Amino acid sequence: MSTAADATAGELRAILAALTGRDEMLAIPAGTSLFGEAVALDSLSGTLLLREIQQRFGVDVAGEDLNLDALATLGTLAEFVAARREPAG
Amino acid sequence: MSGPGPVKCVVWDIDNTLLAGVYLEAGDRPPPADPVLAGVLAELGGRGILQALASKNPPAAAEHTAAVTGWEFAAAECGWGRKSDALARIASALGIGVDTLAFVDDDPVERAEVAAALPQVMVLTPAEAAEASGWPEFSPPVVTAEARRRGQLYAERQRRQAAQRTFGGTRDEFLRSVGTDVTIARAVPADLPRLQELAVRTRQFNSAAGSAWPAGETAPGWFAGLLADPATDLLTVRLRDSFGDDGLVGGCVVARDDPMAWTVRLLMMSCRAMGRGVAEALLAWLTRRAASRGARTLRVPCTIDERNVPLRLALAGAGFRAAGPAPAGPASADFGRDLAGPLPALAGWVHPDPVAPLAGPGPEPA
Repeated sequence: MSTAADATAGELRAILAALTGRDEMLAIPAGTSLFGEAVALDSLSGTLLLREIQQRFGVDVAGEDLNLDALATLGTLAEFVAARREPAG
Repeated sequence: MSGPGPVKCVVWDIDNTLLAGVYLEAGDRPPPADPVLAGVLAELGGRGILQALASKNPPAAAEHTAAVTGWEFAAAECGWGRKSDALARIASALGIGVDTLAFVDDDPVERAEVAAALPQVMVLTPAEAAEASGWPEFSPPVVTAEARRRGQLYAERQRRQAAQRTFGGTRDEFLRSVGTDVTIARAVPADLPRLQELAVRTRQFNSAAGSAWPAGETAPGWFAGLLADPATDLLTVRLRDSFGDDGLVGGCVVARDDPMAWTVRLLMMSCRAMGRGVAEALLAWLTRRAASRGARTLRVPCTIDERNVPLRLALAGAGFRAAGPAPAGPASADFGRDLAGPLPALAGWVHPDPVAPLAGPGPEPA
């Protein structure tokens, strides 16, 4: 992953930990499947995650990605967001 | 003043609105309920419309208002921030759109603030609210037992969410620990009013964006026809756990005209079932059932808009895909999946209803 995606992945881990109330989200590897057992993203937590990404980074994942392929793993989501996010500042 | 769609929640001010007086100015004897508006509250609540409070008062004012009106409010926002922010938090907590809220306040400044910040909200004076029960926005076409219990169900939901936040384990472990039970069954005539209500009212989880039946046909006529069609399965989904029984929370229409390629013509679910494994269970069960009966593909044509992202998330999680880029506005997308290879796992708490078994040959999917 690029450095920017690496930094974004860290922020996404913190968002997932806050959404699920589970601190172990802070340590999941980039290759972790978001729909898999460990994270178990569903229609509710997924909606909250996408809403948070839109508010914090200005990236509309659902608006750009019909099949939500960006949500395959933590790493693919971080790459997707990092390539589009508004510069911090 | 006329909203575009049905009102799902009325958010009430307290002072000089639901109470006949000002809570903090009344000393030891807080004011009684306004009899006219308390009657409107009960009438609208009985139709399944949620009731909430937004007040510049301490939380005790909400408890007092609940006591004197005899109503269990689905949400209460007490504080000194902007009312538009309170309304946005209420909509978010209840899982409904801000455009389905109505707001009643005697103070013209508060009404103007909400109207400016949230133009989608229907803003009413107490005098207007007193008349509102006769308006179409406050008159759902069908009122079912599930709808009448809606306020209570939201209260159960808040207790469940509080338990989940402190649980610590995975989502599946939590769902199992609270005795989640999903029952999928063939619809019977008594289910039709609730299915029609879901078809009209649900948006976040509705594959047809609220218009499943052809133009010129009505929802009751369409559903009654499906029930009689031997090549169609009209299915109901019920949900309960140790916090309460949510009743009929979802449904779907599966066309088996082409035995090799089954088509889900409508998939719908109440937003209060979201996050409770129901959508995932239904999609896993549908793919397994179609595969066990020899189908090769399962299609879910969808009308995509900005509101049914939750449906897309469930489809993505169950391995469904559609061709093409994401459409800019509302548009149709043909989601589908191959039934060869691994299918989504079916949680242990899902079962077909033994009382109303599904028609057709072959075993139920294991």
